[in-house]
Formats: sequence, structure tokens, C-alpha cells
Amino acid sequence: MISEQGVKDLLNTSGYIADDAIATAVFLALHMEKPILIEGPPGVGKTGLAKALSAALDFPLVRLQCYEGIDEGKALYDWEYGKQLLYTQLLRTQLDTYLSVSADLREAVERLSAEESLFFSKNFLVQRPILRSFLSEKRSLLLIDEIDRSDDEFEALLLECLSDFQVSIPELGVIEAKRKPLTILTSNGTRMISDALRRRCLYLYIGYPELEREVAIVRKKFPEICETLARQMVEFLRKARELNLRKPPSVSETLDWAQVLSILTVTQLTPEVVANTVGVIAKHQTDLQKVTELAVQELS
Amino acid sequence: MERVIAGFIADLRVSGIRVSPGESLDAVQALGLCGMSSRKATRQLLRLTLVKNVNDIPVFNEVFNRYFNRFQFIDPGSNLPELMDAAVTEMEGEFNYLNQQQGDDHDQQGPLLKLDSEINPEDLQELKSLTEIDPDDSDGNEIVVQMKGYRGKAKGPRPTRRYTQNPLTIELNKSNATQSGITFTPEEQIAMQDVVARMMLRLRKDMKRMQNNQHRGKLHVIRTIQKNYRHDMVPFQVALRRKRRQKPRLVVLCDVSFSVSHAARFMLLLLHTLHQQMLDVRSFIFNREVAEITEMLANMPLNDLMETIDTGDIIDLDENSSYGQVLLTFKKKYLENLRGRPAFIILGDARNNYGEANDWVLDEIREKSRYMLWLTPEERETWMRGDCLMEIYGSYCDKVEVVKTVEDLSLVVEDLLRDIYADHAHPIDKKRIIEAKAAEVYDSKDYYTRGTSGSTEFQFDPDARSHW
Repeated sequence: MISEQGVKDLLNTSGYIADDAIATAVFLALHMEKPILIEGPPGVGKTGLAKALSAALDFPLVRLQCYEGIDEGKALYDWEYGKQLLYTQLLRTQLDTYLSVSADLREAVERLSAEESLFFSKNFLVQRPILRSFLSEKRSLLLIDEIDRSDDEFEALLLECLSDFQVSIPELGVIEAKRKPLTILTSNGTRMISDALRRRCLYLYIGYPELEREVAIVRKKFPEICETLARQMVEFLRKARELNLRKPPSVSETLDWAQVLSILTVTQLTPEVVANTVGVIAKHQTDLQKVTELAVQELS
Repeated sequence: MERVIAGFIADLRVSGIRVSPGESLDAVQALGLCGMSSRKATRQLLRLTLVKNVNDIPVFNEVFNRYFNRFQFIDPGSNLPELMDAAVTEMEGEFNYLNQQQGDDHDQQGPLLKLDSEINPEDLQELKSLTEIDPDDSDGNEIVVQMKGYRGKAKGPRPTRRYTQNPLTIELNKSNATQSGITFTPEEQIAMQDVVARMMLRLRKDMKRMQNNQHRGKLHVIRTIQKNYRHDMVPFQVALRRKRRQKPRLVVLCDVSFSVSHAARFMLLLLHTLHQQMLDVRSFIFNREVAEITEMLANMPLNDLMETIDTGDIIDLDENSSYGQVLLTFKKKYLENLRGRPAFIILGDARNNYGEANDWVLDEIREKSRYMLWLTPEERETWMRGDCLMEIYGSYCDKVEVVKTVEDLSLVVEDLLRDIYADHAHPIDKKRIIEAKAAEVYDSKDYYTRGTSGSTEFQFDPDARSHW
């Protein structure tokens, strides 16, 4: 039984600085065996949380990247047609002798159909991410990434998996999870996710972090950046976020920038430094201009 | 404890957050797991389990503060434990910490609703004055539109044919009465999102089928072979050539002069909401000048945009609207690069302030567009009165609709989208749709078409149109 503080510390060791809400959510998900649905702007560490958790808890990470048109054949399971065909070819002689005993055609068909289930057994089942994580011997971490990119139908398909941790295969029956995986769904909010899915999950919204936490994140990833520079960077980026940019700089941009600055061995932010490295934090032409102007205003 | 939580959930439901019984069970289970160590932690826990939407979080915080601050008004010295025992909970005094508000960034506003005893006479006075808006507004579900030269003012516009009474439009009307500038309250935006969401829901089913059918085409031989490789080339699964997926294109010209400003602002709001969903829209606003605002609609927060328009930064609002002038400029500047035979919507009252009509431009636009729709906030009777050129302009359009409420607007746009999609649809579907439409009983008093026979009014055929 890990406590909330324990979760926080564990995540910390694998390089993810969590706030209370995140720690509580993970703690609850672990103990209530419920999926977490994480929403938030891009680049605040939604997928990062899943990766850090998998490393910290030593759960193997099973990742399912959603896209438009994803279906059960890609997410749950599929039949291995090639292998089935190959086996029938290879077993032809065996089949011949097996069937030659039968007196007439009717009996042969009956004999053969009695063995039908052989070809729709687990031997010919391809496990796709969700089934794989359900059947893994060790408790795994199932990451369903960017669920908002998939279609409504796929969402409906997930309902059974997420509430009961089971997969129904018509030929085989219901397969239940050996160990219920810790499940994390992420969404960028490009599409509204149905209430049915939301109801089955704990809901966690990760926004831009507070000043102190962001500084801590920078310091954690890039210890060579001194406290004052990290604070200066983060304060500047927080102002940039209020500029109403097309793509506001996120935590991932903060980290990229920190890396750039540490490579350039910068110790103090100046308008020139910002102007030279602005491409790391702003990703549109109009944004570039706004950020550079802000730098002149704030830093000179 | 369960009872307190149940009471809290009931409060949440009253405030409009949907909480299912399953979620309440989760909340109780979670509290059992974590215990209740501090106010902040408890709020986080309840929020994780009960709230499933970002937009609901502020409401949740508000309800949380209100609900758990109730205990604050009980004198903590003497009878707190008794009261808790008797009425609220068996967990003596465990809720004490919930009343403490230390170090809790969301709680700074303090209690949001005062207890009844704390409401003073002035507050009541204020409340009273709030209820006294528009006492005579009996059929008050229209967007109130100022009409120049409209003589029957005292009568007031008639209630509309469809959706005569619904909460949304009443809501909108209320805010019209109190607001002067053109900005949107969050409620209005939510209401509009609601209207659009409902419209989308109605449209979605039809569109999905049509989109699927769009993919029907000839057999794609190579793909079929590739796909059936694992079946030993026996074509179990067939791959068909796809047709290009098309987004419906719209061009909207929106009059923002004072006479139609209310209708215009809702048109812009509708466009803004639609723009993010499914359409390829180019939007223009005009008064005497024309300006394109497509980019701004997509990138700017709507209220900022409305302010920019309001201050006259884009086009001068002090001028009188001149439709003739606008049509000419539009032809010169934009008509050349209108691509893909868009559907064309013009919103305005066609009051030209006695300028040149230049109606021949509409003829050219007509040739470039697949469909032309004019939306006017004025009733049919006033179309020839004063400087209104509706009859002249209307004769170039496929359809002229009188639009007064948001619901009207969304219905008109929905019809239009259906038409556009039907146009892209597979021939089989198209036939079915046209039959279904023809079967509908249509009340023709509200719109005006140039077509001579009634049967051609509902279907439009771009090919037939060009030799028209």
C-alpha cells in the first residue's frame, strides 16, 4: 500500500514533479482500480506522467496511440489469417488421413467442424495493446493516448474494457484481465468525450504548473541551470502565456529552452538571448514577434 | 459521513453538475481510502471523483465553499458537537478542519452565499430591481432589432412560427435589455455552444452516412490485392477508390451597422462556434467598407473581436451602410478568388440609404456560388418601404429568410448544411433526401424565391443553375 506522499516521492525519483492533485489521482487509481482521464493543454506532461509512473512503479508500459479510424483490430485483438492459412496447408496430410475414416461427405464435414475451434483458439489470436496489457502476468500500465483523436465508435468500444477490464471475443468468449492494469487516458480536448466514458474514469485536469513547481521541474531535469536563471525563465514564460499567443509555450517548451540555454551556457536572460533562442518557445511567426517584444519590455 | 457527502452531491446537482450514483459511490470509497486530512485534500479528492469536465470545476469550487462553510455560522464554542451529532453526522467534529480556509488558493472569495439572516434590506432592494426588467415583454423571444423606417413599431414583431418559446432565446433577450455594448457573456457563449451542439447532433447521423457514401467509388485493384494478401488473394475485403472528402464551403457577408447589430452579433457567434467544428467559412463584415475577418474569427477570443469591431478599427462604424458600394468593393477585391462554388450567405436589412443598388454584382456572385441565401431581420411587409432594397436584391437569391431568433438562425444554417451535404452525397442518398424533403409540408409564407414553380424551391442543382 503506497501512500499519497509515497506516490509523490516515487514520481520524484523518476524525474516527474507532481502536485497534490496528481498524486491523489494516481493514489486513487492504484487503489480503486479505476482509469484516470487526463485533460489539459498540449505539453504539460500528460503522457509524461504515464511514462514516469511506469518507470517508478516498474509496470511495463503498454501504449495505444489513438487516431481517426482506429478500430478493435488495432486496439484489442485480431485473428492471424496468414498463420491460419499456413497451418491448414501444412496439416493437409494429417487432415486427409483424419477425414478418410469417415464414410461419406456429411460425416467428414461433421468431423471437421468438431475441430473448428482449433483454428479460432488463442494460438491464432494477435494481441493488440489493450488485450496485451490485460493478459500480462505483471500489473502493467495501459496508456491510451489522445483519445480525442479517435471516433465515437471506438470510444463506445472502450467502455467495456475500462469498466470491467474484460474483452469479449465472439469466438472465444469473455477474456478477463489477469491483473487489472493501471489505465491512463489522455485528451487534448479537441473533441468532447462522451459522458459515458468520463463516468468510468477519475478526471484529472493538468493545467500549466505553478511557478514553484515549474522551477522545480526545470531544476530537476537540468541541474546545471542555476536557481536564479530558472526562476527568470519561468517568470518570463508565464508572462508569455498571458500574451494570447497562437501556441502558448508549455512545460515541454520550458524544458527545451532550458536545454538550449544550458548548451549555450547562458547565465542571465537578456533580450538578445531571447531573440536568438525564440524559436524554441514560439512556434508561429506572429508569436515570435510578440515574444521578442515582451523580452525587450521585460528584460532590458 | 455518507449523508454529508450525499447532501453535497445533491447541492452539486442543483447547481447543474451531473453526478451519477456510481460517481457518488466512488467519492465515498475514495474518502474511505484517503481519509480526510485537510480541507484542500478533501476538495481535490471529491473533485477527482465527481467532476468530469473542466468547465464544471469553478462551479464545483463554489458549491464546495458554500456547502462546507455552512458550519462556520454555528457558534463553535458551545453547541457544535451536539448539532453535528444530532443533525449532520455521526463523525463528531471531524468536519472542523473543513471550515478552516488556510493556504487554499481557490477559497479566497470566502462564503459565496450569505445566510438568510445576513441579507440586508439594500440587497433585497437590488434583487427587486432586477426582476423589474421588461414587464410588458409578453412574446419576448426575439432578438430585438432596431428598424429604421419601420412604421409599425408599436405592434412589435410577431412571435416566430417555429420554437416559439424556449429558454435559450429568453435568456438572450434578457441580456439584450441590460447590455449596450457588443460583448458576449459566458452564458451566451455556452447557450450558443448548446444550440450548435444540438444542431450538430441532429446533423451528425445524416452526415456520417453521407460521408461514408462519399467513399463509394470504383474498385481499387491494387489496394484490394494488397488487402487480401492474407486470404490468398481471394477478395474477401474490397477496397474502393475514395472520392475526395469535401468540407462544405461557406462565404458569409455580415452587415454590422447599427440597424442590424444584434442579429449580426449572433451570426458572428454562430460562425465562430461553427468554424471550430466543421466548416470552411470565409467571413466578411461590412458597413460601407468590406473587410475579411476569417483569420480573426479563428484566432481571436470572440469578445476581443467584437470589441475591435465595435471600436471601428476594422471598418468605420459611423458611416451609413451602403450595399451598392459594398457589392462593388467585394467584387473588386474578393470575387476573383472565391473557389469551390461556396454557398453564399448575406445577413443584412438591405437598407441602402438611397445609394446606387449595383444589383448586377449579385448576378456575378450568383454564378460563382452554388447557393445564395439572404437573411434579413425584417418582416416581409417592410421590404419595399423606405430605402429597403430587399425585393430587388432578393430576386437574385435562391432564398430569402426572415431570421429573428438564434434558434431560427441555427435552423436556417442547419437546412443549408443539409443541402450542401446532400449535394455532395451519393446519387442514391441524394434521391432519398430530395424525396424526403419534397414530402415535408412547407409553409412558404416566410421566404421568397425567384423560381416560378413551387416544386423546385427545395432542391438546388448547381448544374442547372449555370444555364439559368
